[in-house]
Amino acid sequence: MPGTDSTILLLTELNALAASFFLLTAFGLIATRQILACLRIFVIQATFLAASAFILSYQNASGSLFIVGGITLAVKAVLIPWLLLGTLGDELRSRREISQVFNISTSLLISLILVVFAYFVSVPLLGSAPGGASSVNLPIGLAGLLLGAYAMTVRREAVPQVIAILSMENGAFFAGIAIAPDLPLIAELAAAFDVLIITRVLGVLVMKVHEHIGTTAVGDMAALKEE
Amino acid sequence: MEQKILFNIVQVLVVMAFAPLVRGVLNRLKERIQSKRGPSIFQPYFDIWKLFHKDEVVSEHSSWIFRATPYIVFVTPIFVTLLIPVLTGYPLFFAFMADMLGGGFILALGGFFATLAAIDTANPYGPMGASRTRMVGFLAEPVFMIVFFTVSFVAGSTIPYIVQKHWVTPLANFFEPAHVLVMLSFLMLIIAETGSIPVDSPSGHFELAMVDESKGLEYSGRGAALMKWGGCTKFFVLLCIFLNVLVSPWGLAHGEAIGEVFLAVPLVLAKILVFILVLAVIESSLAKLRLFRIPEFLGAAFVTSVAAVITRLLQS
Amino acid sequence: MELIYILLIPVVVAALSLFPTKGRDFAPLTTITGTAAVFIASLHTALKASAGSDVVAVEGWLACDAFGGLLLLLVSFVGLTAAIFSWGYTGRIAGPNATVRVCRYYRRYNLFLVSMLAVPVLSHISMVWIAVELTTLLSVFLVSFPNTPEAIEAAWKYSVLTCMGAALALFGILILYWGMTISGGGPFTWSGLLAAAPKMPPALLQTGFLFILIGFGTKAGLVPLHTWLPDAHSQAPSPVCALLSGVETSTALYAIMRLIPAVQAITDGHSGRWVLIFGLVSAGFAAFLLIQVKEYKRLFAFSTIEHMGIILVAVGMGGAGAYFGATYQILSHTMAKSFCFFAAGAALRVAGARDINSVKGLIRESPLVGASLLLGALAISGAPPFAVFLSELTILKAGVSSGQYVATGLLALFVVIAFCGIMFHISRMVFGKPMPHSESRPLPTSYATSLSLAAIPVCLFGLYIPGPLLELLRLAANALGR
Repeated sequence: MPGTDSTILLLTELNALAASFFLLTAFGLIATRQILACLRIFVIQATFLAASAFILSYQNASGSLFIVGGITLAVKAVLIPWLLLGTLGDELRSRREISQVFNISTSLLISLILVVFAYFVSVPLLGSAPGGASSVNLPIGLAGLLLGAYAMTVRREAVPQVIAILSMENGAFFAGIAIAPDLPLIAELAAAFDVLIITRVLGVLVMKVHEHIGTTAVGDMAALKEE
Repeated sequence: MEQKILFNIVQVLVVMAFAPLVRGVLNRLKERIQSKRGPSIFQPYFDIWKLFHKDEVVSEHSSWIFRATPYIVFVTPIFVTLLIPVLTGYPLFFAFMADMLGGGFILALGGFFATLAAIDTANPYGPMGASRTRMVGFLAEPVFMIVFFTVSFVAGSTIPYIVQKHWVTPLANFFEPAHVLVMLSFLMLIIAETGSIPVDSPSGHFELAMVDESKGLEYSGRGAALMKWGGCTKFFVLLCIFLNVLVSPWGLAHGEAIGEVFLAVPLVLAKILVFILVLAVIESSLAKLRLFRIPEFLGAAFVTSVAAVITRLLQS
Repeated sequence: MELIYILLIPVVVAALSLFPTKGRDFAPLTTITGTAAVFIASLHTALKASAGSDVVAVEGWLACDAFGGLLLLLVSFVGLTAAIFSWGYTGRIAGPNATVRVCRYYRRYNLFLVSMLAVPVLSHISMVWIAVELTTLLSVFLVSFPNTPEAIEAAWKYSVLTCMGAALALFGILILYWGMTISGGGPFTWSGLLAAAPKMPPALLQTGFLFILIGFGTKAGLVPLHTWLPDAHSQAPSPVCALLSGVETSTALYAIMRLIPAVQAITDGHSGRWVLIFGLVSAGFAAFLLIQVKEYKRLFAFSTIEHMGIILVAVGMGGAGAYFGATYQILSHTMAKSFCFFAAGAALRVAGARDINSVKGLIRESPLVGASLLLGALAISGAPPFAVFLSELTILKAGVSSGQYVATGLLALFVVIAFCGIMFHISRMVFGKPMPHSESRPLPTSYATSLSLAAIPVCLFGLYIPGPLLELLRLAANALGR
C-alpha cells in the first residue's frame, strides 16, 4: 500500500512516464511504414496502458483496476495479435510499405497540432475536478483517441485502419482508468470482449475484401461513389 | 579560485587527450561486433601523429576560410569543454561564460566554418556533402531548441551544472517523462550531429553518399590532423553533455581535492565506454537511412521532445 | 420478466439456426415465430409503460420506461415484418451450400435483433454503449451478405466509420461517469444522470455530450460523418436495409436523445443550439444530395439521413410540442421507411435492376409493387394524410410557436425539396411504359404478406393513433423535456 511521500512521488512519475511512452506509440502508429510494425506498436501501446493501470491500482489500492490491467494485457497484448496474425497472417507479413494520404512529416506535424488541441480541451475539464493521475491520463488518453482517429482517416490500407481503431479504444481506456476507475467490472469485461469481437469481425471482413475486391488498399475503393 | 582555474585546464587536457581514444574504441567495437578484427584502439592517435608529420597541400583557389577552418574546428569544442561538467559536479571558473545555448552556438560555429570550407575548395563532392550536412543541421535545430527549453523549464536554468543537480537529488526526478524523453531525443540528436548510422555512415568511403565525412576530404597534413582531432573532441564533448548532464550525473568530483578530480577521470571514461557500447550496438543493428528519410528521423526526435514538453506542462 | 424473454428468444433462435440439417425452411420459420413472440412481449411491455409505470426486470440493469418502450415496440415490429420478408429473400439463394448460407443469414439476423432490442432495455449507460457497438458489429456481415464487391466495400466503410464513432462516444461516456463520481455518485443510468446533472460541473457535461453526439451521430448518419450510410443502406439485402434504416439509426439517436434533459438542465440553450445546427445541416445536405441519386435504395437511404436531421432539429428546438413531434416522427419514420425498403426490395426482385433509369412503369408490370412503392414514397416524403406529414407539421408548428422562424423556415424548405426529389424519382419508376426486363421474377408470397402487414401502420397512423400508443408518445416526449 502506498505510504511515504517519496513512493507516491515515484509512482506519479512512473505513471507519467508510462503516459508519455503511450503518447509516443500513438505517434509511432502514424509514422510507421510497415504493417507488422503497426501491430507491434499497438501491442507496446497496450502494454503501457496496462502498466499505467497497474501503477494506478497500486496508488489507489484498487483491486478492480488491477484486474483491468490484467485484462488489458491478456486481451490486447496477447489475444488480439494472435487473432490478427491468425486471420490475416499472410496479409500482415506480405506487403512491406504502406501509404498515407499525406507524407509522414506532414502527418507528424498535424498530429502534434491534435495533441495540443487535446491539451486545450482537457484543461477546462481538469479545472473542475481534483487533480492526481487524471491530469496526465485524461489529456494523453484523449490525444491517443484523436491520433487514432487521424491515423484511421489517412491510412489507405485495411489492416492499419483496423489497428488505428483499436488504438482509439486504447486511448479512451487510458483516460478511463484515471477518471472512471470504479466502473463496474462487468462493463470493463464487456468492453474487452467487445474489442475482441471488433478484431474478429474486421479481420474476417478484411479477408473478404481481399477475396472479392482483390487488394486491401481500401482507400482506393470507389465503386460506390456518385459520379 | 586558483584550484578552479587549474581544474578547468585539467578538464581541457583530459578531453583533448582522451577524445581520440574514445573514437578508436568505438571503431574497434563496431568492427568486433561484425566479427572482424578491427584496428587498434589507439589508431586515431597514430593517424593524428602521422598526419602532423606530413606536408600540407592547399588548393590555390581556396581562400583564408579553408586555411582557418581546421583551427576553428579544433578550438570550438575546447571552448565548450570549459562550460560543461566533465570532471567536477560544481561550476568551475569559466562555467558561467555561456550556458548550454551558448555552447550549442559555439559548436555550430565550428560546423558552419567546416561547411564553408567544403564549398571553398570547388571539389565537386564538397558542396554536396556540405548541403546535406546543413539540411541535417537545420532540421535538428528545432529539436535542439525544444530540448533546451524543456530542460530549462524543468530545471530552472540553462547552466549545465545547475541542470545536472536537478536530476540527481530526488530519485523520482530521474524517471520524469520530461527527463526520459529528453534523453531519447538528445540521443537521436547526437546520432544526427556526429554522423552515425542511421543518419550517415562514418566509415564509408563513397563520396556520393557522404554527409558529414565530406568536410574533411580536401585537407592534408596538419589541417587534416586538426580536423580529425577536432571531430573526435566534438564527439567527446557531446557525450559529456549527454552523460554528465542528462543521463548519469553521478561519479563527478564534489570536493576540492585534486585527488578526487583525478579519480573522476576513469569514472567518466567508464560511463563513456558504456555509452559507446550502446552506440556501437545501435550502429551495427540499423541500416543507413535514405537521404529523404532523414527528415522523418529528425521529425521523430522533434515529436519526442515536444511530447516531453507537453507531459511536463500537464504535470504542473 | 418480459424483458428477459425479449432478449432471450432471439438468442435461442439464433442458436437453433446453427443446425442446417433441419432443412431450409426451419430457420426462417423459427425466426418468424420468434420475432412474433418478441413483438407480443414488447407490446405487453409498451402497454404497461404507457400506463405510466416503468417495467423493471432487474433493478439497475434491465428496465424500460415509456421512451424505451416506444423504441422496443418499433424494433420488434420491424423485426417481425423484416423476418417475413427475409423468407422470400433467402428463398432465392441458390448454390451448393445454400442451406448453410440461409442459416448463417438467420443466425446473424437474430443476433442483430437482440443487440437492437438491448439498447432501450439496458439501464447502465456503459452497457447501452456496448449494445450500440454490438448493433454495428453484428450487422456488418449482414450488410456484406450478397458478397458482391460493392456490398463488401459498403460493409467496410460502415464498420470502420461507426467503430470510430463508437470510440468517440466511449470517451464521452467516461467523461460523464467522471462527472457523476465527482458530484456524489449514484446509479449511472439515464434517470440517475438526470438527477445528478445539476451538481455536475457544466464543462464535463457539455464535453461528454458533445463527444457522444459526434460519436453516436456517426452511427445515426449525421452529416458530415454520413458517408457510409448511403452505401451500407443500399447494398445490404432489403429486409436488412429496413432494419438498418428504420430502427438502427433510431437507436443511435435514442441514445443521444436520452441525454438531452440532463444537458438542457445546466447549459440552457447551448447544447440545444448545437443539436439544432447538426440537424439542420444533415437535413439540408440530405435533401440536396437526394436529388441526384441514381439508385432508388440510395434515395431512401438519403431520406433516412434527412429524417434523422429532422428529429434532431425538433429536439434542438425544445419545448413540449417539439418533443412530441420528435417522438411522433420516430414512430412515423420507422413505419414508413421500413415499408419503403420492402417495396424497394420487391421492385428489385421484379425489375431486376438497381438504378432508377432502368425501371419504368412498375405499376403496370406488377400493380402490387408499383402501388406499394408509390405509397411508400408518398408516406416517407411527407404527403398528407400520412403520419410523417402530421409529425413534420407538429414540429413546424412547435418551431413557429417558440419563435425560431429561421430554423422552421429552413426545415420546411428542406422537407419540400426532399418531397419533390423523392416523388420525382419514384414517379419516373412507377409510371410510364414498362421496360422489358431480362430477369424479372415473380413476387414471393412472403413479400406480399410483409408488405401488407407493414402497410397497416403506414396508412393507419396518419388518421388514427390508438390511445395507448398516443399516451406512450406523450410520456416519451415528457422524458425528453423538463
